Amino acid sequence: MTQAILPVEIQLLSLVVLVVFSAWVLWLIRTQQLHLRESLIWLLTTVAAIAVTAWPELLVRASRLVGVQVPANALFGAGLLYLALNVLAVTIGVSRNTTTVRRLAQECALLRAEVVELRARLDGRPPAAPAPREQEKAKR
Amino acid sequence: MRVAVIVPAYNEARNLPRLAEGLRAHAPGCDVCVVDDGSTDDTSRVAAELGWTVLRLPVNLGIGGAVQAGYLWAREHGHDVAVQIDGDGQHDPAYLEALLAPVKTGDADVVIGSRFLSEGGFRSTAVRRAGIRYLSWFLRLRCGARITDTTSGFRAAGRSAIELFARYYPSDYPEPEAIALAKRAGLRLAEVPVRMSERTHGRSSITALRTLYYLVKVSLALLLLPSRRSPSEVHPS
Repeated sequence: MTQAILPVEIQLLSLVVLVVFSAWVLWLIRTQQLHLRESLIWLLTTVAAIAVTAWPELLVRASRLVGVQVPANALFGAGLLYLALNVLAVTIGVSRNTTTVRRLAQECALLRAEVVELRARLDGRPPAAPAPREQEKAKR
Repeated sequence: MRVAVIVPAYNEARNLPRLAEGLRAHAPGCDVCVVDDGSTDDTSRVAAELGWTVLRLPVNLGIGGAVQAGYLWAREHGHDVAVQIDGDGQHDPAYLEALLAPVKTGDADVVIGSRFLSEGGFRSTAVRRAGIRYLSWFLRLRCGARITDTTSGFRAAGRSAIELFARYYPSDYPEPEAIALAKRAGLRLAEVPVRMSERTHGRSSITALRTLYYLVKVSLALLLLPSRRSPSEVHPS
Protein backbone atom coordinates (compact mmCIF):
# COMPACT_ATOMS: atom_id res chain seq x y z
CA MET A 1 0.00 0.00 0.00
CA THR A 2 1.64 3.22 -1.20
CA GLN A 3 -1.07 5.65 -0.11
CA ALA A 4 -0.51 7.05 3.38
CA ILE A 5 -3.15 5.83 5.81
CA LEU A 6 -2.81 8.85 8.02
CA PRO A 7 -1.76 12.32 6.86
CA VAL A 8 1.53 13.15 8.56
CA GLU A 9 0.10 16.23 10.31
CA ILE A 10 -2.66 14.21 11.92
CA GLN A 11 -0.23 11.49 12.83
CA LEU A 12 2.05 13.98 14.57
CA LEU A 13 -0.82 15.73 16.34
CA SER A 14 -2.21 12.40 17.60
CA LEU A 15 1.21 11.34 18.84
CA VAL A 16 1.69 14.61 20.72
CA VAL A 17 -1.77 14.33 22.31
CA LEU A 18 -1.24 10.71 23.32
CA VAL A 19 2.24 11.36 24.71
CA VAL A 20 1.03 14.38 26.69
CA PHE A 21 -1.85 12.25 27.96
CA SER A 22 0.42 9.45 29.16
CA ALA A 23 2.79 11.99 30.69
CA TRP A 24 -0.20 13.39 32.59
CA VAL A 25 -1.18 9.93 33.82
CA LEU A 26 2.41 9.27 34.93
CA TRP A 27 2.51 12.62 36.72
CA LEU A 28 -0.76 11.78 38.52
CA ILE A 29 0.78 8.52 39.69
CA ARG A 30 4.01 10.19 40.84
CA THR A 31 2.10 12.81 42.82
CA GLN A 32 -0.06 10.00 44.25
CA GLN A 33 -3.31 11.34 42.90
CA LEU A 34 -3.90 8.15 40.95
CA HIS A 35 -3.23 4.62 42.13
CA LEU A 36 -1.02 2.55 39.89
CA ARG A 37 -3.56 -0.27 39.92
CA GLU A 38 -6.33 1.92 38.52
CA SER A 39 -4.04 3.63 36.02
CA LEU A 40 -2.46 0.50 34.58
CA ILE A 41 -5.25 0.00 32.05
CA TRP A 42 -4.93 3.64 30.94
CA LEU A 43 -1.19 3.28 30.41
CA LEU A 44 -1.46 -0.02 28.54
CA THR A 45 -4.25 1.11 26.23
CA THR A 46 -2.54 4.44 25.57
CA VAL A 47 0.71 2.70 24.66
CA ALA A 48 -1.27 0.56 22.21
CA ALA A 49 -2.82 3.72 20.74
CA ILE A 50 0.65 5.27 20.35
CA ALA A 51 1.90 2.14 18.58
CA VAL A 52 -1.01 2.22 16.12
CA THR A 53 -0.51 5.94 15.46
CA ALA A 54 3.23 5.60 14.91
CA TRP A 55 2.92 2.53 12.66
CA PRO A 56 -0.47 2.74 10.93
CA GLU A 57 0.38 -0.43 8.95
CA LEU A 58 -0.35 -2.28 12.16
CA LEU A 59 -3.89 -1.02 11.94
CA VAL A 60 -4.22 -1.97 8.27
CA ARG A 61 -2.92 -5.43 8.93
CA ALA A 62 -5.15 -5.87 11.96
CA SER A 63 -8.25 -4.68 10.09
CA ARG A 64 -7.50 -7.06 7.20
CA LEU A 65 -7.11 -9.85 9.69
CA VAL A 66 -10.61 -9.33 11.09
CA GLY A 67 -12.08 -8.47 7.68
CA VAL A 68 -12.73 -4.74 8.14
CA GLN A 69 -12.55 -3.05 4.71
CA VAL A 70 -11.83 0.53 5.75
CA PRO A 71 -9.00 0.86 8.29
CA ALA A 72 -10.62 4.06 9.62
CA ASN A 73 -13.58 1.96 10.76
CA ALA A 74 -11.24 -0.34 12.60
CA LEU A 75 -9.82 2.78 14.24
CA PHE A 76 -13.26 3.84 15.43
CA GLY A 77 -13.91 0.33 16.69
CA ALA A 78 -10.62 0.24 18.55
CA GLY A 79 -11.32 3.70 19.99
CA LEU A 80 -14.68 2.58 21.32
CA LEU A 81 -13.16 -0.54 22.81
CA TYR A 82 -10.46 1.59 24.43
CA LEU A 83 -13.07 3.81 26.09
CA ALA A 84 -15.32 0.91 27.06
CA LEU A 85 -12.43 -0.92 28.72
CA ASN A 86 -11.44 2.10 30.75
CA VAL A 87 -15.00 2.91 31.79
CA LEU A 88 -15.49 -0.70 32.89
CA ALA A 89 -12.32 -0.44 34.98
CA VAL A 90 -13.74 2.66 36.66
CA THR A 91 -17.08 0.94 37.32
CA ILE A 92 -15.30 -2.00 38.92
CA GLY A 93 -13.50 0.45 41.18
CA VAL A 94 -16.78 2.16 42.13
CA SER A 95 -18.41 -1.19 42.96
CA ARG A 96 -15.48 -2.16 45.13
CA ASN A 97 -15.69 1.17 46.93
CA THR A 98 -19.43 0.75 47.48
CA THR A 99 -18.81 -2.56 49.24
CA THR A 100 -16.09 -1.00 51.36
CA VAL A 101 -18.16 2.04 52.29
CA ARG A 102 -21.12 -0.18 53.23
CA ARG A 103 -18.98 -2.30 55.51
CA LEU A 104 -17.36 0.76 57.10
CA ALA A 105 -20.72 2.45 57.70
CA GLN A 106 -21.99 -0.72 59.40
CA GLU A 107 -18.88 -0.93 61.55
CA CYS A 108 -19.33 2.74 62.54
CA ALA A 109 -22.91 2.05 63.61
CA LEU A 110 -21.89 -1.03 65.61
CA LEU A 111 -19.08 0.86 67.35
CA ARG A 112 -21.34 3.81 68.13
CA ALA A 113 -23.87 1.48 69.72
CA GLU A 114 -21.04 -0.04 71.74
CA VAL A 115 -19.87 3.42 72.88
CA VAL A 116 -23.40 4.46 73.88
CA GLU A 117 -23.77 1.28 75.93
CA LEU A 118 -20.36 1.57 77.58
CA ARG A 119 -20.89 5.22 78.42
CA ALA A 120 -24.26 4.40 79.97
CA ARG A 121 -22.69 1.60 82.01
CA LEU A 122 -19.93 3.95 83.13
CA ASP A 123 -22.44 6.54 84.31
CA GLY A 124 -24.61 3.87 85.88
CA ARG A 125 -27.69 5.00 84.06
CA PRO A 126 -29.81 3.46 81.35
CA PRO A 127 -28.71 4.14 77.74
CA ALA A 128 -29.49 7.72 76.87
CA ALA A 129 -30.81 9.01 73.62
CA PRO A 130 -28.00 9.85 71.19
CA ALA A 131 -27.64 13.53 70.39
CA PRO A 132 -29.64 14.62 67.37
CA ARG A 133 -27.69 15.37 64.24
CA GLU A 134 -27.18 19.09 64.56
CA GLN A 135 -25.58 19.58 61.18
CA GLU A 136 -28.30 17.85 59.23
CA LYS A 137 -30.98 19.64 61.18
CA ALA A 138 -29.34 22.97 60.39
CA LYS A 139 -29.17 22.15 56.70
CA ARG A 140 -32.89 21.58 56.46
CA MET B 1 -32.78 -19.14 73.33
CA ARG B 2 -31.70 -15.56 72.73
CA VAL B 3 -33.79 -13.75 70.14
CA ALA B 4 -32.74 -10.57 68.35
CA VAL B 5 -35.37 -8.43 66.67
CA ILE B 6 -33.91 -6.42 63.81
CA VAL B 7 -35.93 -3.38 62.82
CA PRO B 8 -34.65 -1.63 59.69
CA ALA B 9 -36.02 1.90 59.87
CA TYR B 10 -35.79 4.90 57.59
CA ASN B 11 -37.68 7.92 58.96
CA GLU B 12 -40.03 5.77 61.03
CA ALA B 13 -40.06 7.82 64.25
CA ARG B 14 -43.87 8.04 64.18
CA ASN B 15 -44.35 4.30 63.63
CA LEU B 16 -41.91 2.97 66.23
CA PRO B 17 -44.00 3.51 69.42
CA ARG B 18 -46.78 1.33 68.00
CA LEU B 19 -44.26 -1.39 67.15
CA ALA B 20 -42.93 -1.09 70.72
CA GLU B 21 -46.39 -1.82 72.13
CA GLY B 22 -46.69 -4.89 69.95
CA LEU B 23 -43.26 -6.18 70.85
CA ARG B 24 -43.82 -5.59 74.56
CA ALA B 25 -47.03 -7.60 74.38
CA HIS B 26 -45.86 -10.47 72.16
CA ALA B 27 -42.08 -10.69 72.53
CA PRO B 28 -41.07 -9.35 75.93
CA GLY B 29 -37.77 -11.23 76.22
CA CYS B 30 -36.27 -10.22 72.90
CA ASP B 31 -33.35 -7.87 72.30
CA VAL B 32 -34.56 -5.22 69.90
CA CYS B 33 -32.08 -3.55 67.57
CA VAL B 34 -33.27 -0.66 65.43
CA VAL B 35 -31.11 0.05 62.42
CA ASP B 36 -31.52 3.73 61.60
CA ASP B 37 -30.61 3.91 57.93
CA GLY B 38 -29.52 7.54 57.88
CA SER B 39 -32.93 8.92 58.85
CA THR B 40 -33.48 12.66 58.90
CA ASP B 41 -36.20 12.49 61.54
CA ASP B 42 -36.07 11.42 65.20
CA THR B 43 -35.92 7.67 64.52
CA SER B 44 -32.73 7.19 66.58
CA ARG B 45 -33.89 9.24 69.53
CA VAL B 46 -37.32 7.60 69.66
CA ALA B 47 -35.80 4.12 69.43
CA ALA B 48 -33.27 4.86 72.19
CA GLU B 49 -36.00 6.25 74.44
CA LEU B 50 -37.92 3.03 73.94
CA GLY B 51 -34.90 1.32 75.46
CA TRP B 52 -33.74 -0.35 72.27
CA THR B 53 -30.26 -0.72 70.89
CA VAL B 54 -29.80 1.71 68.00
CA LEU B 55 -27.44 1.13 65.10
CA ARG B 56 -27.26 4.53 63.49
CA LEU B 57 -25.77 4.27 60.02
CA PRO B 58 -23.85 7.44 59.17
CA VAL B 59 -25.08 7.28 55.56
CA ASN B 60 -28.17 5.80 53.92
CA LEU B 61 -27.22 2.30 52.75
CA GLY B 62 -30.62 1.07 51.65
CA ILE B 63 -32.54 -1.85 53.11
CA GLY B 64 -29.88 -4.46 52.28
CA GLY B 65 -27.04 -2.69 54.08
CA ALA B 66 -29.30 -1.83 57.02
CA VAL B 67 -30.55 -5.38 57.52
CA GLN B 68 -27.02 -6.72 57.25
CA ALA B 69 -25.91 -4.32 59.99
CA GLY B 70 -28.57 -5.95 62.16
CA TYR B 71 -27.28 -9.43 61.35
CA LEU B 72 -23.71 -8.32 62.14
CA TRP B 73 -24.97 -7.08 65.50
CA ALA B 74 -26.82 -10.34 66.18
CA ARG B 75 -23.74 -12.37 65.28
CA GLU B 76 -21.52 -10.24 67.50
CA HIS B 77 -23.86 -10.63 70.45
CA GLY B 78 -24.30 -14.35 69.94
CA HIS B 79 -28.04 -14.47 69.34
CA ASP B 80 -29.57 -17.80 68.39
CA VAL B 81 -32.33 -16.36 66.24
CA ALA B 82 -32.78 -13.02 64.52
CA VAL B 83 -36.18 -11.78 63.39
CA GLN B 84 -36.48 -9.08 60.77
CA ILE B 85 -39.53 -6.89 61.23
CA ASP B 86 -40.23 -3.64 59.39
CA GLY B 87 -40.49 -0.46 61.40
CA ASP B 88 -43.42 0.86 59.36
CA GLY B 89 -46.21 -1.09 61.03
CA GLN B 90 -46.81 -3.55 58.17
CA HIS B 91 -45.74 -6.51 60.25
CA ASP B 92 -47.67 -7.54 63.35
CA PRO B 93 -45.47 -8.71 66.28
CA ALA B 94 -48.33 -11.07 67.22
CA TYR B 95 -46.96 -13.45 64.58
CA LEU B 96 -43.45 -13.44 66.01
CA GLU B 97 -43.96 -16.69 67.94
CA ALA B 98 -45.27 -18.45 64.83
CA LEU B 99 -42.30 -17.18 62.87
CA LEU B 100 -39.83 -18.36 65.51
CA ALA B 101 -41.39 -21.78 66.04
CA PRO B 102 -39.77 -23.66 63.10
CA VAL B 103 -36.33 -22.30 64.06
CA LYS B 104 -36.83 -23.18 67.73
CA THR B 105 -37.85 -26.75 66.93
CA GLY B 106 -34.88 -27.04 64.58
CA ASP B 107 -37.04 -27.61 61.50
CA ALA B 108 -35.84 -24.61 59.53
CA ASP B 109 -32.98 -22.10 59.32
CA VAL B 110 -34.90 -19.35 57.55
CA VAL B 111 -38.62 -18.72 58.06
CA ILE B 112 -40.55 -16.33 55.85
CA GLY B 113 -43.79 -14.74 56.99
CA SER B 114 -46.21 -15.03 54.07
CA ARG B 115 -49.33 -12.92 53.65
CA PHE B 116 -50.52 -15.23 50.89
CA LEU B 117 -50.78 -18.28 53.14
CA SER B 118 -53.22 -16.44 55.39
CA GLU B 119 -56.71 -15.08 54.87
CA GLY B 120 -57.36 -11.36 54.66
CA GLY B 121 -55.03 -8.55 55.64
CA PHE B 122 -53.15 -6.26 53.30
CA ARG B 123 -52.24 -8.05 50.08
CA SER B 124 -50.71 -5.23 48.02
CA THR B 125 -51.82 -4.13 44.55
CA ALA B 126 -52.66 -6.55 41.71
CA VAL B 127 -49.55 -5.53 39.76
CA ARG B 128 -47.25 -6.20 42.68
CA ARG B 129 -48.99 -9.47 43.49
CA ALA B 130 -48.31 -10.57 39.91
CA GLY B 131 -44.67 -9.55 40.34
CA ILE B 132 -44.41 -11.51 43.58
CA ARG B 133 -45.95 -14.58 41.92
CA TYR B 134 -43.53 -14.29 39.04
CA LEU B 135 -40.60 -14.12 41.48
CA SER B 136 -41.98 -17.09 43.37
CA TRP B 137 -42.10 -19.09 40.12
CA PHE B 138 -38.64 -17.90 39.13
CA LEU B 139 -37.13 -18.80 42.52
CA ARG B 140 -38.59 -22.30 42.35
CA LEU B 141 -37.27 -22.75 38.83
CA ARG B 142 -33.86 -21.30 39.61
CA CYS B 143 -33.01 -22.93 42.91
CA GLY B 144 -35.99 -24.99 43.98
CA ALA B 145 -37.11 -22.70 46.80
CA ARG B 146 -40.86 -22.89 47.33
CA ILE B 147 -41.81 -19.50 48.74
CA THR B 148 -45.12 -17.76 48.09
CA ASP B 149 -44.29 -14.33 49.52
CA THR B 150 -40.87 -13.71 48.01
CA THR B 151 -40.65 -10.01 48.89
CA SER B 152 -41.76 -10.36 52.50
CA GLY B 153 -39.36 -8.64 54.86
CA PHE B 154 -40.90 -10.40 57.87
CA ARG B 155 -38.57 -13.33 58.47
CA ALA B 156 -36.63 -15.26 61.07
CA ALA B 157 -33.09 -16.55 60.73
CA GLY B 158 -31.38 -19.21 62.83
CA ARG B 159 -27.71 -19.25 63.78
CA SER B 160 -26.36 -20.52 60.46
CA ALA B 161 -28.51 -18.03 58.56
CA ILE B 162 -27.34 -15.16 60.79
CA GLU B 163 -23.78 -16.23 60.00
CA LEU B 164 -24.52 -16.29 56.27
CA PHE B 165 -26.36 -12.97 56.14
CA ALA B 166 -23.74 -11.22 58.31
CA ARG B 167 -21.13 -12.33 55.80
CA TYR B 168 -23.12 -11.60 52.71
CA TYR B 169 -26.43 -9.87 52.18
CA PRO B 170 -27.58 -8.50 48.83
CA SER B 171 -28.34 -4.82 48.33
CA ASP B 172 -31.05 -3.04 46.38
CA TYR B 173 -34.30 -5.06 46.85
CA PRO B 174 -32.56 -7.94 48.63
CA GLU B 175 -35.47 -10.13 49.82
CA PRO B 176 -35.85 -12.64 46.93
CA GLU B 177 -32.09 -12.83 46.45
CA ALA B 178 -31.55 -13.55 50.15
CA ILE B 179 -33.91 -16.53 49.84
CA ALA B 180 -31.88 -17.87 46.91
CA LEU B 181 -28.62 -17.33 48.82
CA ALA B 182 -29.91 -19.22 51.82
CA LYS B 183 -31.18 -22.05 49.63
CA ARG B 184 -27.89 -22.24 47.77
CA ALA B 185 -25.98 -22.31 51.06
CA GLY B 186 -27.95 -25.44 51.94
CA LEU B 187 -30.15 -23.82 54.59
CA ARG B 188 -33.67 -25.13 55.16
CA LEU B 189 -36.48 -22.73 54.32
CA ALA B 190 -39.97 -22.62 55.75
CA GLU B 191 -42.94 -20.33 55.38
CA VAL B 192 -45.65 -19.50 57.89
CA PRO B 193 -48.88 -17.55 57.37
CA VAL B 194 -48.94 -13.99 58.72
CA ARG B 195 -51.32 -11.09 58.24
CA MET B 196 -49.89 -7.82 57.07
CA SER B 197 -51.42 -4.40 57.30
CA GLU B 198 -50.95 -1.33 55.17
CA ARG B 199 -48.40 1.06 56.56
CA THR B 200 -49.94 3.69 58.79
CA HIS B 201 -47.63 6.64 58.17
CA GLY B 202 -45.46 7.59 55.24
CA ARG B 203 -45.08 5.91 51.90
CA SER B 204 -43.55 2.63 50.82
CA SER B 205 -40.07 3.02 49.41
CA ILE B 206 -41.14 1.09 46.30
CA THR B 207 -43.17 3.22 43.90
CA ALA B 208 -45.14 1.83 40.96
CA LEU B 209 -42.54 3.10 38.52
CA ARG B 210 -39.78 1.13 40.17
CA THR B 211 -41.64 -2.17 40.03
CA LEU B 212 -40.32 -2.98 36.56
CA TYR B 213 -36.75 -2.12 37.52
CA TYR B 214 -37.26 -4.26 40.61
CA LEU B 215 -38.30 -7.30 38.58
CA VAL B 216 -35.53 -6.91 36.00
CA LYS B 217 -32.85 -6.36 38.65
CA VAL B 218 -33.94 -9.27 40.82
CA SER B 219 -34.33 -11.63 37.85
CA LEU B 220 -30.83 -10.79 36.67
CA ALA B 221 -29.42 -11.19 40.17
CA LEU B 222 -31.06 -14.61 40.46
CA LEU B 223 -29.81 -15.66 37.04
CA LEU B 224 -26.24 -14.69 37.88
CA LEU B 225 -26.36 -16.23 41.33
CA PRO B 226 -24.21 -19.37 40.98
CA SER B 227 -21.23 -17.62 39.42
CA ARG B 228 -21.15 -15.06 42.17
CA ARG B 229 -19.11 -15.41 45.30
CA SER B 230 -19.48 -13.11 48.23
CA PRO B 231 -16.64 -10.57 48.54
CA SER B 232 -15.70 -11.88 51.97
CA GLU B 233 -15.29 -15.36 50.54
CA VAL B 234 -12.97 -14.10 47.83
CA HIS B 235 -10.91 -11.80 50.03
CA PRO B 236 -11.06 -13.01 53.60
CA SER B 237 -10.41 -9.99 55.75
